[in-house]
Amino acid sequence: MTETTQTKPYIDAFPAARGGAGDRLRPQREAALARFAALGFPTRRQEAWRFTDLRPLERQSYPPSAGGAAPAAALDALRLAGATHRLVLVNGRFAPELSDLAALPEGAWIGPSAQALAERPALSLLDAGEIDGAQPFAALNAAFFTDGAVIALAPGVVLDRPVEIIHLGRAEAPVSLHLRSRIELAPGSRARVVESFAGTGPYWTNAVLGVELGAGATLEHVRLQDEGVEAIHLSLARLRLGAGACYDAFALTLGGALSRQDVQVELAGEGARVGLGGVYLLRGTQEATTALLVDHAAPGCTTRELFKGVIGDRAHGAFQGAIAVRPGAQKTDAHQLNKNLLLSRRATVDTKPALEILADDVKCSHGATVGDLDEGALFYLRARGIAEAEARRMLIEAFAADALDMVEDTALRAHLAGHLQRWPGLRESRET
Amino acid sequence: MLEIRNLHARIADGREVLKGIDLAVAPGEVHAIMGPNGSGKSTLASVLSGRPGYEVTQGGVTYLGRDLLALGPDERAREGVFLAFQYPVEIPGVNNMYFLRAALNSVRRARGEPDLDAGQFLKTVRAKLKLLEIGDDLLQRAVNVGFSGGEKKRNEIFQMAMLEPRLAILDETDSGLDIDALRVVAHGINKLRAPDRAMVLITHYQRLLDYIEPDRVHVLSGGRIVKSGDKTLAGELEKHGYAAFEAA
Repeated sequence: MTETTQTKPYIDAFPAARGGAGDRLRPQREAALARFAALGFPTRRQEAWRFTDLRPLERQSYPPSAGGAAPAAALDALRLAGATHRLVLVNGRFAPELSDLAALPEGAWIGPSAQALAERPALSLLDAGEIDGAQPFAALNAAFFTDGAVIALAPGVVLDRPVEIIHLGRAEAPVSLHLRSRIELAPGSRARVVESFAGTGPYWTNAVLGVELGAGATLEHVRLQDEGVEAIHLSLARLRLGAGACYDAFALTLGGALSRQDVQVELAGEGARVGLGGVYLLRGTQEATTALLVDHAAPGCTTRELFKGVIGDRAHGAFQGAIAVRPGAQKTDAHQLNKNLLLSRRATVDTKPALEILADDVKCSHGATVGDLDEGALFYLRARGIAEAEARRMLIEAFAADALDMVEDTALRAHLAGHLQRWPGLRESRET
Repeated sequence: MLEIRNLHARIADGREVLKGIDLAVAPGEVHAIMGPNGSGKSTLASVLSGRPGYEVTQGGVTYLGRDLLALGPDERAREGVFLAFQYPVEIPGVNNMYFLRAALNSVRRARGEPDLDAGQFLKTVRAKLKLLEIGDDLLQRAVNVGFSGGEKKRNEIFQMAMLEPRLAILDETDSGLDIDALRVVAHGINKLRAPDRAMVLITHYQRLLDYIEPDRVHVLSGGRIVKSGDKTLAGELEKHGYAAFEAA
């Protein structure tokens, strides 16, 4: 097995953490670890990682967490109003005392991944992708994952209330949390899922989510990334949509010292639709990357992407969005837009939208902008008596508003708007 | 109320645009400042309202006994100074009603008055909308977004009616208005004349003054007031043009 200073601590930690007998995934885990060792950490010479500065992750190693506990109060800021099916994971392990899965309807299986492995052997939590794929952290996750969330709906099941998945990290010393989740919606079923990430201390969340949407299934998926200030957050979501399926996602990124979300969507069935929206608000020395890849493999599919970034202080944001239209994917309708607002002279952003079109009857567009807060608008608001900090807050909120509008549910949108309004960067004035 | 003494100001490129303005405005008075393009009219409005990008190099401005130039633009507004913009700014994503309520409550708090609740606010809004002949639908839109030129100018005077300033500076409020819109706007302004409120009308043309009778008229040229007089001065300007008053 090849080793580097970066991969060695993880390879060495494997026998103690995952070496036990009785794990039926043991052979796959070992193969995944070998894959991780072979790939090593990504470097900025690789196009997909060009804009992501992984140094915070490389400075120290993050041994796999042995578990942890969190008080119920840690959920207060994250919980949705109203009834939900709630699944809470602390340091990568199911926390039944904080969860509420008592009212699941017929045809719905919602629970922790560890339990799903035992009860639902047909579920594909691991696929060959991790073992021969190119994403080292997904391979590392496959080797180490402890738990996660699983949602499986039978054909035609419509969930009456949202599913709330809350991931909490609690660390005194560096630890890694490897979460593996799976959502399988059978044809015609429908779910709304709200995933939140938060915590305290120097932990690394390494999350992998697989999603399979059957014909005509609909998934609304909101992600709130409000990790602790020292945290590292890497997540990869891989999705496959069948004919006429619909995936509407929104990601609000607020926390973490270093974060990156990868979303990879395969539109495999005719007439599938995907909407990816998001807002990232960065300050201090935060570093956040959004990397999207949508593959139009079938004809008549639709993609809508709108990501807005607000970047202050010395923070750095990156947006990499690729849309590929394969030969034969006629009548593709794909639009992508990334807009960024820089609040300080030392804030930076890299934005790289990309279209690769191999069909001739398509409607595609992409665009990217980077700008400062509109001084004219700021003066106009101030000239009406609105204090500078308040005026800045109004303009930043207004900038993010149209992306937030992609969240259809009013209560959910208000929940996200509340988090946005509490962003400390709204109250800071311009640093020059 | 407002006292401008020997005011010199330059713009970002270093060019001096105001070269010694002297002007005193008492409560209840309406002063018209007229002048050709480039005479410094809009610069004067900008300096008085605190727009960034201007540097006062000499002289000063006193407002209600305070040093106006030491205040930020929002503080000036809360102290009762109002600028009706020549080019009102479009602000996508900020709802007009939301904006107006935030502005009104800021100004009211500074005056020691309580915030208006939603009902009281709406009642006040309805009364003032009527004055400016503005439809309710305008309030549901984003600030100035998709407004016609006339609607923007009416919206400025509507805001003035809502905020009830002590000193209103109206920067070319008549420009871009057709005759009907001009009449509505002028009517609104006249209704807002009050014994404790002063107004400074900045205009290129005399026609606004056909509807609003000023107490004093000043001719601005080359960054200085070159002539002052009563309302008949506007008529003279109309007859002879600015050339007769150009600064030497």
